[in-house]
Amino acid sequence: MGTIGADIVLKTLTEEGVEAIFGYPGANTLPLHDRLAEGPIRHYLMRHEQAAAHAADGYARVTGKVGVCLATSGPGATNLVTGIATAYMDSTPLVAITAQVDSDLWGRDAFQETDIIGITMPITKHSFMVRDVTQLASSLRQAFQLASTGRTGPVLVDIPKDILSAPCGDQPKRVPAAPSKRIENPEQLERIAQALNRSERPVIIIGGGVKLGDACERASEFVQKAQIPFVTTMMGIGSVASANGFNLGFIGMHGNELANRTIHQADFILALGTRFTERSTSVIEEFAPLATVAQIDIDPTSIGKNIKVDLAYEGDIQDALTALIPLIAPHAREEWMGRIRAERDLQEAKLKDGGCGQAGNLIRKIQAAMPREAIVIPDVGLNQIWTVRTWQSHSPRSLLTSGGMGTMGFSVPAAIGAKVGAPDREVIVICGDGGFYMNIQELATISAYRLPIKIVVINNGHLGMIRQIQDLFYEARFTESELGDKTDLTAVARGFGVPAERVAVDEDPKEAIARMASAEGPYMIEAMVDQNNYVYPIIPPGCSNMEMICGK
Amino acid sequence: MAIQERTISLLVNNQPGVLSRIAGIFSSRGYNIRSLCVAETTNPEVSRITLTSRAESDFTEKIKKQLEKLVDVISIADFTGAPSVQRELMLISLRLNEENRQEILRAIDVFGCRVVAMSGDSLIMEITANKDKTAAILRYFEPFGVEEMNRTGAIAVFRRQQE
Repeated sequence: MGTIGADIVLKTLTEEGVEAIFGYPGANTLPLHDRLAEGPIRHYLMRHEQAAAHAADGYARVTGKVGVCLATSGPGATNLVTGIATAYMDSTPLVAITAQVDSDLWGRDAFQETDIIGITMPITKHSFMVRDVTQLASSLRQAFQLASTGRTGPVLVDIPKDILSAPCGDQPKRVPAAPSKRIENPEQLERIAQALNRSERPVIIIGGGVKLGDACERASEFVQKAQIPFVTTMMGIGSVASANGFNLGFIGMHGNELANRTIHQADFILALGTRFTERSTSVIEEFAPLATVAQIDIDPTSIGKNIKVDLAYEGDIQDALTALIPLIAPHAREEWMGRIRAERDLQEAKLKDGGCGQAGNLIRKIQAAMPREAIVIPDVGLNQIWTVRTWQSHSPRSLLTSGGMGTMGFSVPAAIGAKVGAPDREVIVICGDGGFYMNIQELATISAYRLPIKIVVINNGHLGMIRQIQDLFYEARFTESELGDKTDLTAVARGFGVPAERVAVDEDPKEAIARMASAEGPYMIEAMVDQNNYVYPIIPPGCSNMEMICGK
Repeated sequence: MAIQERTISLLVNNQPGVLSRIAGIFSSRGYNIRSLCVAETTNPEVSRITLTSRAESDFTEKIKKQLEKLVDVISIADFTGAPSVQRELMLISLRLNEENRQEILRAIDVFGCRVVAMSGDSLIMEITANKDKTAAILRYFEPFGVEEMNRTGAIAVFRRQQE
């Protein structure tokens, strides 16, 4: 067989270090799928293209490498959209490859033709339409380069079928990029350090960018050297070890009261890799009213996007922290740390069960049965907040969640990618019944590849978070938030070939959890919880982070 | 923050889709492009886009950062408030009659417009001027009954300052 475009694609992916891709074939991907059998790249056949994108996303979140998904033109490509948007909002490095109809059919409303580049423009960093087979390798290389540098994110490469099957010669090999790390404006870091050294009530905010920029160790070092307490955003959870006493929890709508209250009193904030979304700041005008804000971010558009910033440094976060550490003069802030200690005691006494009720106890029992380095993947909704509030993350890249986009149905397919990326670590999904339905077909993928993924569906028969909001702010009118109890999810799982059992959370689920933990293959527990098991505290819409409520 | 008319000029790769990416930066944030002019530069692989938009001044900073992030954008210049020469070309078609013919021809002369086509009862003139002047000229001729008007939108070049 002579070399064709498809071979160039696979060769380039291999050169970029791709070992696994997640995809689904269609008539227009066939030249590529046809050649996959010969190459070293493993292709995971998903049951839906959206799941392929989430799996590639999960793979990237766990490994730090670029995730790759592959879909055909038309519906295959449009099915990727939610997955690409999810990756975009959480800055996951992703390359989405879509096949396109033959180039002589463009613009003729051909079968399965769609302008996927146009559709995905607002949710990709960039996209390439390959118009000539000689541009294939360079377009793909640029896609990997763009996806994995700066603020990482998804890039789409659309390749017409005739280009995939076009005969061609070898294309130039990859030229390794020179490392471009350098500190461009050291004086800005000096100013940040001076302000931090002068401050009496400083707090660090650790955002998702710390882990994306591989700066978790530096951030830990920084915290230890500076002896400054830190809060995280939801995306920053686990980036700096929880157990060192300086961690005040995460901020925002469902965050820890201690974190929200401390930020409110701070006179200096050092924000690392966060864009200050409204979910973490609530009413922006009332966020951290006393603080001088310093922001370090690799993305120039994230600096000052949502909040007025007094001191800014734009650049690589690991480099910035490395340069910053020697400039920090540790000084004991007895008064500040004392205030925080007192506040911590107060909050802990106030909130029973960490605000998550029986669901929280269930999650604690699950974690106790799992190895320390297990990867936990909550879905979206109450299950997500219960998990991020309860699960003790010991390392970065061990809690994966759809933060920015809040994509229900993320957890199960993302777990597939996570397991493929980290086969030696336990992967556990904590999902609600609503989100579980949204990519339930992926149980077939899990079953087909015998991926030992553990799934706990916390079933309250409702869209729990919607129900809680209706209960609190819509006078308890529960319109269209009840999913009901007519489906036996364990029977569904068994039908897919995944062993499953049902437990009630108010009876002791310990034995079921033990069976799940010791299962060799995939396993599912359907855990029934009360529909009124909500999460507290919560910040009502339009209120500041200081106005958390702890009950109805 | 004061709302102001901003003129931004971009050098971009001459590639399909570049214009929609740029337009997307504005539209996804709810801002309107008031005028837009695109043409190749001396390098056929590079185009210059000159656009105007009404926006708050800090917003322009944010838009500029967003535009800078686009892979196909090579550079951005903000002409707002900077020493520069700005011009747009406007074509106006007017219907002539016995009463207004003399006044129209006199005004064309006074404003420094140029007649580019004329028949018994109609006339087409062109004006090259900055936006304030084209606007003033259009206002003047409107009462005479403008049949058709078309304009290019502004283009701009920085005025070199004496060192």
